[in-house]
Amino acid sequence: MDIEALKEEFLHKDFDEQTFEIDADDVVNFALACGEVAPRYTDPGHPDFQAPPTFASSFQAGRRMPEGFPKIPGLGMDAGKAASLKYPIRPGVPLVGRTHLHDIYLKTGRSGPMTFLVMRMELYDPDGVQVATADTSVVIRERPGK
Amino acid sequence: MTINQISDVEFGEELPVFTPDTSLDNVRRFATAAGWAGPRFTDHEAARAEGLPGALVPGIMSQGFLAAMIHRWAPESRIEKVDTVFRAPVIVDQPYTISGVVTDIDEETETVEIDLTVNNEAGETRVFGTATVRIATPA
Repeated sequence: MDIEALKEEFLHKDFDEQTFEIDADDVVNFALACGEVAPRYTDPGHPDFQAPPTFASSFQAGRRMPEGFPKIPGLGMDAGKAASLKYPIRPGVPLVGRTHLHDIYLKTGRSGPMTFLVMRMELYDPDGVQVATADTSVVIRERPGK
Repeated sequence: MTINQISDVEFGEELPVFTPDTSLDNVRRFATAAGWAGPRFTDHEAARAEGLPGALVPGIMSQGFLAAMIHRWAPESRIEKVDTVFRAPVIVDQPYTISGVVTDIDEETETVEIDLTVNNEAGETRVFGTATVRIATPA
């Protein structure tokens, strides 16, 4: 697999766009289930009511990979999530999430070669201001014996 | 002790350990709110049918537990970035501990770096990561 060719063809090009409505009840349930106790996350009547920062990680793109991206043989698993917040995510303010492939790299572990793919979703408010970034890392482990 | 300003924070300080609610009912509540209500997260039998040891706590819920621990320690703090690696499954209805330790303090930007871990009862790390947290100063 030619990682450099994949990077050249697919990196940093938006391949998905979704609009997300943020519901106050969902924010409260998300926060309470995680164990949040701060009223700004659990009380819709709080003047600074907002979603917990990791709410950004819950948004999902409509497709997992760019169109035309080759199937990498192996077992795919979620490897991690990262969320960066510039401004609070607030119920009632819809966000547009645009997703691109942010990085591709190889590692060799004890279990053999692994390919890592990092998808980045950038979230924008209705004024076009970037509110947050959410990265999803997927690892594809080559199956033993392949 | 809760943290209200950057001068309250000590290098190497361990955040109070937090025991999350990993019950099936609570995970279902989370998964529904997050839009992640797939059977592998909400049904032990369905998860086992997929070859998993039981229903999984979604990785983003573990990330949420870690954020909640930070907010309990520093109620007015703002998490600017949280980065987590899902090393091994976190299983519904099993006990875990959520912990963190301060690894850097920047007085100028009023931010701290925290190393984060989710461990099982055997002390094995299932999720680890880091957070950059701004410690708000009360007005």
